Amino acid sequence: MQLTGLDLLFWAAGLGAHLILLSVLLIRRRFKVFPIFTAFIIANVGRTVALYFVRLLGTRAGYFYTFWSLGILDTVLQLAVVYEMYSLTFRPLGVWARDLRGTFIWLVTVSIAVAAGLTWLAAPHARLWMQVVIIKGSFFSSACMSELFVGMMVLAVKAGLPWKTHVARISQGLGVYSIIDVLIEAGHSYLGLERDSPAYTALSHFRMTAYLLCVAFWIVMLWRNAPDSRRLPENMRGQLTQLQNMVNSDLEKIRARQK
Amino acid sequence: MSIRTAYFIVAVAIFVLALIVIVFYYYRLSQKSSQKNWERLLKRLTAVDRSSIAEVALDIIDESGQQRKDEASAVLEPSEIWKLVGGLKGLEALEANCAVLVDLAFYVQQWYPEALAVAEQLRLSAREIEWHVGRLRSAQQTGKLESAFQMYAQPAVATYYLMTRRVLALYEDGNLAMLADLRNAL
Repeated sequence: MQLTGLDLLFWAAGLGAHLILLSVLLIRRRFKVFPIFTAFIIANVGRTVALYFVRLLGTRAGYFYTFWSLGILDTVLQLAVVYEMYSLTFRPLGVWARDLRGTFIWLVTVSIAVAAGLTWLAAPHARLWMQVVIIKGSFFSSACMSELFVGMMVLAVKAGLPWKTHVARISQGLGVYSIIDVLIEAGHSYLGLERDSPAYTALSHFRMTAYLLCVAFWIVMLWRNAPDSRRLPENMRGQLTQLQNMVNSDLEKIRARQK
Repeated sequence: MSIRTAYFIVAVAIFVLALIVIVFYYYRLSQKSSQKNWERLLKRLTAVDRSSIAEVALDIIDESGQQRKDEASAVLEPSEIWKLVGGLKGLEALEANCAVLVDLAFYVQQWYPEALAVAEQLRLSAREIEWHVGRLRSAQQTGKLESAFQMYAQPAVATYYLMTRRVLALYEDGNLAMLADLRNAL
């Protein structure tokens, strides 16, 4: 299989960008806070290298199966990154904020229902049933992902829980990319998966450009430090623990009164 | 192009547009929240009749926040509670103040991670009151406001009373300059 100069450029840029991002995560010690996100980036480095060699040395069928198998792994890891971002935002005290538990279930249900509805509407141009499954599956996952990131933003603002600086930047990057990906997957559904067609190539290059911009955004934002926290006065600090216990106890009584 | 494909394209366009509008709207809201300072937040607080709030709250709890079990407790009738809190409008004022308290908690969580635990408790209390008032609104729409009022309004007022006292205590301990403004508003 022959690679064009532009294909090689995108591949090299993707690998280089992921390696720089991985270095930032390691040098700035962000991997301790974002272990799943770091695993996602490592997997992307491995995926880029593996696909390059399979495309260069392997068969067309081999590339097809490797590409989509690793695509499933990528989707699973993206979902795990969503979980990590939710966990870092909505578990301020180490447990899920109790005012949001019902909303999470509602959000996931609605996201799946909307994504499933849109996927059902799609009528991909494809010759093989496997292509239909791939197109629909990719569209469903990108629609779900975009809804989950937008939902996360809405919930954080409505509930009054601040996004930590780096959580916000990772989520914004992946959220914007997911929305762009919905359009790309819709394009695949409309145009089909004919790998040699100009439309497929254009969509692939558009996706890679969007993703490279997203990785560049992460590199800059994760290199920068979050704004410094302000220090509490000593007398205030001592009272805070006491206050926490009192408020806890008060609320328990109020709830007991309701029952 | 088939009809189904046309529907799909229109649905995807609406879906993406809706996501973009939501993102911009909430991004702007979050930017506003991040830029708020204490003075601006305090200006949003609505003045409430503190003595009435205390009367409703202290009908079911004592000064220390303990639930009262004596014979003279829980004697207020729904109509009296309704009058003291100023009806649904009064509760909505409390709800509005709770939204400000959520923002105060947001501010504390953002800038003083050490105070995370207290800020989170304040936020949860405020959200709980919002929930109570939401239930009252539903009861109003279904014509069951009278019976629901005591069930939701009094616990909401009591929670508000305790929470505002905690907020005042927090700022008294911190010797913060805006305490007088805060005391007037709450």
